[in-house]
Amino acid sequence: MTGLLNWLRVFVRGAVLSYIALFRWFRPAQYTASKIVMPLNQILFFTLLGSYALGTNSAPFFAIGNSLQIAAVSGIYGVTMSVGGERWEGTLVYLFGTPASRMSIFLGRAFVHILDGMLGVILGLAWSGLLLGVDFSHTSLLALALTILITAASTSGLGLLMGAVSLAALETFFVNNTVYFLLLVFSGANVPLQNFPGWVQAFSYMLPLTRGIQAARQIVAGAGLSEVAPLLIGEAAVGAIYIGLGYLLFRTFETIAKRRGRLESF
Amino acid sequence: MNAVEIENLRRVYRATIGTFRRSIKEVVAVDNISLAVQPGELFGLLGPNGAGKTTTVKMLTTLLIPTGGTARILGYDIVRQADQVRPIIGFIFGGERGLYWRLSGRDNLQYFADLYRVEPRVAKKRIPHLLELVGLKGRDDEKVEGYSRGMRQRLHIARALLHDPQVLFLDEPTLGLDPVGARELRSMIRDLSTQGKTILLTTHYMFEADALCERIAVINHGRIIALDTPAGLKRYAQDLSVVEVEVFGIEDNALEQIRALPAVEAVSVENQDQRQVVLVQSSHGSAVMQPLMEILAGMRVGKVVVREPTLEDAYVRLVGGEKGIAQVD
Ligand SMILES: Nc1ncnc2c1ncn2[C@@H]1O[C@H](COP(=O)(O)OP(=O)(O)OP(=O)(O)O)[C@@H](O)[C@H]1O
Ligand SMILES: [Mg+2]
Repeated sequence: MTGLLNWLRVFVRGAVLSYIALFRWFRPAQYTASKIVMPLNQILFFTLLGSYALGTNSAPFFAIGNSLQIAAVSGIYGVTMSVGGERWEGTLVYLFGTPASRMSIFLGRAFVHILDGMLGVILGLAWSGLLLGVDFSHTSLLALALTILITAASTSGLGLLMGAVSLAALETFFVNNTVYFLLLVFSGANVPLQNFPGWVQAFSYMLPLTRGIQAARQIVAGAGLSEVAPLLIGEAAVGAIYIGLGYLLFRTFETIAKRRGRLESF
Repeated sequence: MNAVEIENLRRVYRATIGTFRRSIKEVVAVDNISLAVQPGELFGLLGPNGAGKTTTVKMLTTLLIPTGGTARILGYDIVRQADQVRPIIGFIFGGERGLYWRLSGRDNLQYFADLYRVEPRVAKKRIPHLLELVGLKGRDDEKVEGYSRGMRQRLHIARALLHDPQVLFLDEPTLGLDPVGARELRSMIRDLSTQGKTILLTTHYMFEADALCERIAVINHGRIIALDTPAGLKRYAQDLSVVEVEVFGIEDNALEQIRALPAVEAVSVENQDQRQVVLVQSSHGSAVMQPLMEILAGMRVGKVVVREPTLEDAYVRLVGGEKGIAQVD
């Protein structure tokens, strides 16, 4: 029992503190730029471009896709910084010298970014309604909220894996930009998946976001929770796989770094 | 049971050198060290830069896997039982990194209290107590990025004591502290030792080791070259007498001449503004005085002192070995 309580304390306190301590964009100007201005620009840009090319009735397709994609700003960049930032602070030696549960440390790093990502998506959808005329009158808000939660969590799962990669590879931004770009193109936020050849579609379904975006589009068009349930379960499963892989890599990193004497190099 | 027991501990690093034509070079940082530290003992590890002190401490604190040999902390193996070792040890590595700079000192401690599984009601009392102990009371709500180097070092010390560990590893704990702070820390270390904690300390300050440690191991090139009490180590320099001569503007060839005197073991020069203090270690007591004064005859000579050898003299003799001139600034 005390073990479980401590697990939760490490998780929650670590989540909040590491967000403040390690997430370098958590400063007013950077936060506004990276979490609000940049994503809104992206939504407007793709939606206006898409409507220009394909007609205004395609606006919801782009607006919803790019709103959900905002989850990747927190999920990929944010989570990676909160995991990989330990190296810059030189805290790995001290962190890995404690008896704390590695799982609670690791999962905690994603927690606030999930909430943050959800906030971003909600903001994006709100702008879509206000500026781009997306109609939410047939939308089950509960189903949409659940979709946003699952998508933000699964995207953060990929972020956890990228964070573990950045600890091991000493490199963050190149890797992150690549992943963000891959999601932008292959999650179906801006290209209908059926336009891709089969093997690309298979790749798309290995990414987080893909199913979440589809579910959100269907929900806004009037679908109920039961209709999108398979998509949501799939999205959650993809996220769980990335979290599992990330945790495995995190543990492997600790073992190998202790074997090679590499906990401190940066 | 010993608090720390080390048997044939060995660590080899593999370093890649060169960018294009890469080759692998092996560095033997710790070379078959064996020693035992009794419970409650304050044990010192001395040695020149690169001797392998930090590497040894890293292995004992479960942060580095040995290449060979074993070590146990209060009976627990540092590799196979690392999970049992971590809660009972505290450690600091000299320097200011390793804290969350964007958090306050208090939040840093709070987080590490959780990581060390300290019960919240215990932490609630202990954190203010430790902040006071290390002299950070009143500054604990400020972010660590605004702390001075010494303040960060003090915060590290508080961090290491959060879970009231039985065994403490302090790697150059007074590095970067001002003289008063260093003295306070030394008295803190002494108090912790009186409370029964086992402490393994590394330092480059001989007087510190002399004043604190019950026993000292001197290591060089990864090997223990002497292990004794401070008094015992001084016996390595027992037959030496040390002449300190204050000279104003000494010439290099004069130093060479001194060094060439038959009874002279080692010569070192300490530069202080216009004057130099020449330290001559000789094995034949005052027999060196007359030839020494003849060499210095043409120069302006100030104070001349003949003194007993210190731990530092013993240390210099142990790790310096060969007859040479050391420059100290
Ligand atoms: N991570 C590493 N990778 C490769 N070589 C290393 C590593 N860490 C230490 N070494 C080498 O191992 C040897 C011992 O280093 P160590 O840090 O243990 O010395 P030390 O006694 O603590 O020295 P100092 O007094 O300067 O702190 C040195 O030759 C050093 O270059
Ligand atoms: Mg060292």
